[in-house]
Amino acid sequence: MLELLKTLCMLDGVSGFEDQVRQFIREQARPYADSIREDAMGNLIVYKRGAKATGNKLLLAAHMDEVGLLITEVTDEGYLRFRFVGGVDRRVAIGKPVLIGPEHIPGVIGMKAVHLVKAGERGSVPKTEELYIDIGAASAQEAGEKAPPGSYAVFAGECVEFGQGFLKAKAIDDRVGCAVLLSLLKEPLPLDCTFAFTVQEEVGTRGAFGTAFSVTPEIALVLEGTTAADCAGVPAHKKVCAPGRGPVIPFMDGGTIYDRELYALLTGLCRDNGIPWQTKEYISGGTDARTFQRSKAGVRAAGISAAVRYLHSPSSVAAVGDLEEMLRLTRLFLSAVAEETQEVRHGAV
Amino acid sequence: MDLFETLRALSALPGPSGTEEPVSRAVREMMAPLVDRVYTDRLGNAVGEKNCGRPGAPRLLLDAHLDEIGFVVTGVEEGFLRIQTIGGVDARVLPGREMTILTNPPLFGVVAALPPHLQTAEEMEKTIPLDQLRIDIGMDQQAAAAAVPVGTRAVYRAECFRLGKDQVCGKALDDRACITALLRTLELLRDRELDVDLTVLCSTFEETGGAGAATGAFGARPDLCVAVDVTHGRTPDGPKSGTFPLGGGPAIGVGPNMARWMSQRMEEKAKAAKLPYGLEVLPGDTGTNAWVLQISREGVATGLLSLPLKYMHTPVEVVQLSDLEALAQLLADFITGLGKEAPLCWSC
Amino acid sequence: MELFETLSRLTAAHGVSGREEEVRALLAQLAQPYCDEVRTDVMGNLICRRAGEGPRVMLSAHMDTAGLVVSHIQEEGYLRFSSVGGLTARQLRGQSVRFANGITGVVDAATEKGEKEPALSDLYLDIGADSRSEAEKLVSLGDTAAFHVPARQQGERVLSSGLDDRAGCLVLLLVMEALKSAPNDLYFVFTAQSRVGLRGVQTAAYAVDPAWAVVVSATAADDTPQADHRGSCALGRGAGVKVMDGSVICHPRAVELLDRLAEKHEIPVQHEVYKAGRSDAGAVYTTRVGVITGGVSFPVRHLGAPVEIADLNDLRRCVQLLQVFAESELSDL
Repeated sequence: MLELLKTLCMLDGVSGFEDQVRQFIREQARPYADSIREDAMGNLIVYKRGAKATGNKLLLAAHMDEVGLLITEVTDEGYLRFRFVGGVDRRVAIGKPVLIGPEHIPGVIGMKAVHLVKAGERGSVPKTEELYIDIGAASAQEAGEKAPPGSYAVFAGECVEFGQGFLKAKAIDDRVGCAVLLSLLKEPLPLDCTFAFTVQEEVGTRGAFGTAFSVTPEIALVLEGTTAADCAGVPAHKKVCAPGRGPVIPFMDGGTIYDRELYALLTGLCRDNGIPWQTKEYISGGTDARTFQRSKAGVRAAGISAAVRYLHSPSSVAAVGDLEEMLRLTRLFLSAVAEETQEVRHGAV
Repeated sequence: MDLFETLRALSALPGPSGTEEPVSRAVREMMAPLVDRVYTDRLGNAVGEKNCGRPGAPRLLLDAHLDEIGFVVTGVEEGFLRIQTIGGVDARVLPGREMTILTNPPLFGVVAALPPHLQTAEEMEKTIPLDQLRIDIGMDQQAAAAAVPVGTRAVYRAECFRLGKDQVCGKALDDRACITALLRTLELLRDRELDVDLTVLCSTFEETGGAGAATGAFGARPDLCVAVDVTHGRTPDGPKSGTFPLGGGPAIGVGPNMARWMSQRMEEKAKAAKLPYGLEVLPGDTGTNAWVLQISREGVATGLLSLPLKYMHTPVEVVQLSDLEALAQLLADFITGLGKEAPLCWSC
Repeated sequence: MELFETLSRLTAAHGVSGREEEVRALLAQLAQPYCDEVRTDVMGNLICRRAGEGPRVMLSAHMDTAGLVVSHIQEEGYLRFSSVGGLTARQLRGQSVRFANGITGVVDAATEKGEKEPALSDLYLDIGADSRSEAEKLVSLGDTAAFHVPARQQGERVLSSGLDDRAGCLVLLLVMEALKSAPNDLYFVFTAQSRVGLRGVQTAAYAVDPAWAVVVSATAADDTPQADHRGSCALGRGAGVKVMDGSVICHPRAVELLDRLAEKHEIPVQHEVYKAGRSDAGAVYTTRVGVITGGVSFPVRHLGAPVEIADLNDLRRCVQLLQVFAESELSDL
């Protein structure tokens, strides 16, 4: 699964431009799926029957999109103005290499040299409007042809394994969820499952609205990457969670108060099966769960996340060991849900 | 159809969010000869339907909003009216402003402004915050309290007039200019063969979050949507980036809120008809009904066309008629043949 | 149902957003005799139906209160928490809070005195535990606590924690009790998770699918020395007929009808405009194809403080107004 995650992380998937990720997942899923559809917003909905016929009882979801950049304008000198897509701390973007569009035109986020910055300004971060991408174009025309307004850009960089079992890559949020779901999809399942690979989570959990409405599940389990702040100097109550300590099972975040019984089920499964786990010890952020939960007459929401350091930066960091534990826990969850669910007649998806 | 006269008639009507009925009624009347059926719904949307007669044709919804920003009276103090805003009012333009208080019959009022000689130089450098502004309706406490109950709405009192050769100035051109453009689009479509079932949603509550678009779309169940709204026209004091010169045609929205194929189709049609246009790149929330329409029900392929407008949310908003006409032409071309050519999913 | 006594029980019941079990159970027990059907949905809303032939009409009040949720337990036994439902560091610091199991604690700031206003993440809760293991015997991560000043009646005024919106829940119970025959299909909904962003009411309104809705809520009284005139209501002047708040502009038909009924039945009312607050009405009116939505409110002083003050006569007027509303013939379009 590590190789799968690395492959997924290297694909482009800025919100609204999830094409590469969608195409890869579609191809991977095809041999194992009973049906696959793509909707008007680009969500990929994969249905796979299991040992027990439970229809649309369970939705498993991960989002395909990642934060990135969107080119807004070409300057007269051939530089590119841009805006961030999703929540990016612009301090981590300055001076970083980026790749523009499916052609992967290389560029760097430029800024004037420190010598040219007035002393009083050195402490403040340039505004996004002041930043630009330099693709080495000789003219506005050349730049406009290579990277017209409306093009996306992703952070450049390789996947690197380092230290004691850590992985550095872009877009671990949420290719980690995609990797777990794809792995699961290739196994025989104890019950019918709808796998949703959603779009546009980073710009407001947008894909989840239509997904929930069309699937109408009873339970939604969201596989995510979540902020870890276990860095040196951070007080314990603000560390949130830590990579390497197992899956994160949230009881609450900024968008959702998770279903209490499902939270108890998940934590109980960890205890009974020797899976290390942690919860979010700082309430912030939000996932597609918030949208699933409030869809139609309500959906029971649960979450399993990987703790990821430097989320939304070009260099996010996760623990490789957490990945397998997430898959194990998800597998156990499926069996537990299957066990307590009545068989229904096979219906259309 | 005379664009200026239509726009002037619509601009004159009062319709702050939540009390759009006068505008809704007028729009239903204007729309009636151009569509098969008009109706209103629980939240007061003015809806027109025009069917192509093809069974199973895709359903296209066009949206522009009826409502305008405005004011609500929260109390009477020594005969002067305390107010709060409805939608994003620019408080800088209020002092000395003429207002229409929407009682029956309406009352005239003016926003009280202390004369300069009673204020310090320092005070005169600052915008007066809204909670310090009052409307003078020329009545004493007793008369005012009897005439104007708490909750009464008010709007700017402003004429709609021509500015220069082709520009128009008035209140509520956001978004009555786009309503006018939709009426013009329907007129252009009258002589063309349709292959989609068309719903024209003139929606309520846009300035306060888009409730009319959300409920209207839920009822209409569209497969495809285009929101038509205003965007910032370029002015000498504003940024060049993200603003659009008047006369430069409509702006085509690009970004995650818009289905990519729709943005591309709009651009192709504009090029083919040699219509002026701009590209408006929006990385997230577009601040328009497109944001609401896209997530209706199962999700809807959505596009956004915007009309450049100067001095947004003031009583002297300015648009250019040639942009209105270009927007209508572009939209009509976009719609023509859409039913056969529209892909069924985002990337198909 | 005795008004003050029931209100005392309701305000004493624990029910921070997401942990409404205790107050929900109490409400279900009190509502049961007057309803044909009582159920709880996925979000925790309590949906009580009084079946009728006419259009579906939803009357709602939220049962959750603001509070805090434990997010971290320190080695030393202190609890770190997150604010639930908008309480600020200023409101929480120095106050006593109680958990559902009765454990109480006091909030203080882990910053030096005289420093600027602490951030929420600087606050901690002391429950008197000496170590993490001792604290863990008393509370768990995810447990919630709230202000717990018991209700007192002083003349026609009531002073208590949690009047927002337990007094609204009381109003609904009293309407159920007072109702004779109503021509409408009535749904009394006690919503969950309102304080965290009008969450519960969304699924309840979708499921009920009403033509009309009236939301009963507290509004900040505008008659205190510090009033900034962002509101319009005063204590003791009657039921508030909501015109708008920060989340909703009420349907003109709902406002007109409530005004007309008040006039006909000589019920004192005052128009409510309160831009700084949000109510469940903001999520109801956009449901499905739209809902004709109004609001009936009661002014509360010191909204969000450990002790809030309301007027019992205002609550009685709310009951009267809602009763005649529920008993009137309501048409859809």
